[in-house]
Amino acid sequence: MTAVRTPPQGTTPPPRLPVREKSAARERGSGLSPMLTRLAAERATGVLERERGSLYLAEGRVVHAESPLAPGLDVLLLAHGTLTPAGWQDARERADEEYGVARLLLDAGRVPRGALELCHLEAVYDAAYFALTPSSTPGRFRYGAGHWLGPLRPVPVEAVERETLRRRELLHRLWPDPLTDGAPLRRSETVAAPAPTARQSAVLAAVDGVRTAPDIARELGRQAFHTLVDVRRLAAAGLLTALFPPPRPHRPPPPALPFRAGATAERAVGPAAPDPAPPPGITLPRVNDPDITLLKRLRDALEAL
Amino acid sequence: MPGIDECLLEAMRLPGARGAALVDWTSGLALGAVGEFPGGDHEAAAAEAAEVARLTAEQRAFAPDGYDRPGGHDGPGGAGGPEGGVADPPVEDLIISNRDSYHVLRFVPTSFDSSVFLHVWLARPDGNLALARIRLGEMAGRLVLG
Repeated sequence: MTAVRTPPQGTTPPPRLPVREKSAARERGSGLSPMLTRLAAERATGVLERERGSLYLAEGRVVHAESPLAPGLDVLLLAHGTLTPAGWQDARERADEEYGVARLLLDAGRVPRGALELCHLEAVYDAAYFALTPSSTPGRFRYGAGHWLGPLRPVPVEAVERETLRRRELLHRLWPDPLTDGAPLRRSETVAAPAPTARQSAVLAAVDGVRTAPDIARELGRQAFHTLVDVRRLAAAGLLTALFPPPRPHRPPPPALPFRAGATAERAVGPAAPDPAPPPGITLPRVNDPDITLLKRLRDALEAL
Repeated sequence: MPGIDECLLEAMRLPGARGAALVDWTSGLALGAVGEFPGGDHEAAAAEAAEVARLTAEQRAFAPDGYDRPGGHDGPGGAGGPEGGVADPPVEDLIISNRDSYHVLRFVPTSFDSSVFLHVWLARPDGNLALARIRLGEMAGRLVLG
């Protein structure tokens, strides 16, 4: 008989398999942030602060975005020597209300306009992707707040929202498990994996069991979303996995599991009991086991059909 | 010094130009677009062009000799020198022709990490591929080098 059983008390409960929030994403529809839509309609100026980043608006258009998960414009420009740290620092110090950093850099001829616009736009969409992720706390808008960068090339709010949704879909299509987006990554052994591309090799070389995808992006001076794309492709190829479970904060011991008659020591593999937080003192089994990883990949692939 | 819009408007002055866009081939985002695009939707056209550009840029077969070692020595697993990440695309441009038009995709090398190309749609009767290739190469250089 293959009935799934809950483990008896005292044994290690099976690890909870990650569950994707498909229904939540669907319900949300295209309105990523009703507040943002309203601010765009009233042509507001200021900064929208959300859990994972901020969007700066000027007259209802996005002029800048920042997120702790996405490397900033400075990281992108300094990482490969497009701009010298001294040049950047100088512009930061001299910037005021009237002359933003962008204008100072352009006027001083430190960076060509095309390069700055290009890099800035990429940074804006990159940070906006994270800033607009569903959050558990409400956003907050501070009217009137500007950004020291100054205006460069404003983008309509709808364009940013549309692109953010498209990016979510793109990632989901590449590899439907979002775990690799934020968890520490480790390389995994696999047979007959496709050879990684040059850009993917750079990402793979930075995977060390500690760094997360945003860490690697910062390390490489590369957009975080680009790194997420490569990481999901590498995960789909079986070349890396997320460390799961990630180190979780301590929680009070869970209530005793309901006793079920006939439960034996047989390992259950299937829908786990509701949130089996590990009892204190018991370490979870290593879930990076190749067999389990393979089963998860198989399940994800089947679900993606 | 030209910005993105000036660069795209310049591309539109090519004989037979119908549309021009600057597109990121990793994400499929159109960073700028002027003129018209097949199907009337520049975002959809950008996403499709990006897919072709990405495949071209990633295939070893289309890379020049010795491209596999950007910046020299370290292979995968090495310390990953800073040169490794700078956008120096293996391919210069990509030309697609059909019965009534040409598409020219010109990869843009940048000193920071990026993955962008210029996409120009030319009407076939007026379009001049040789001229478009030369001009787009110049524009790509001017866009990011000033």
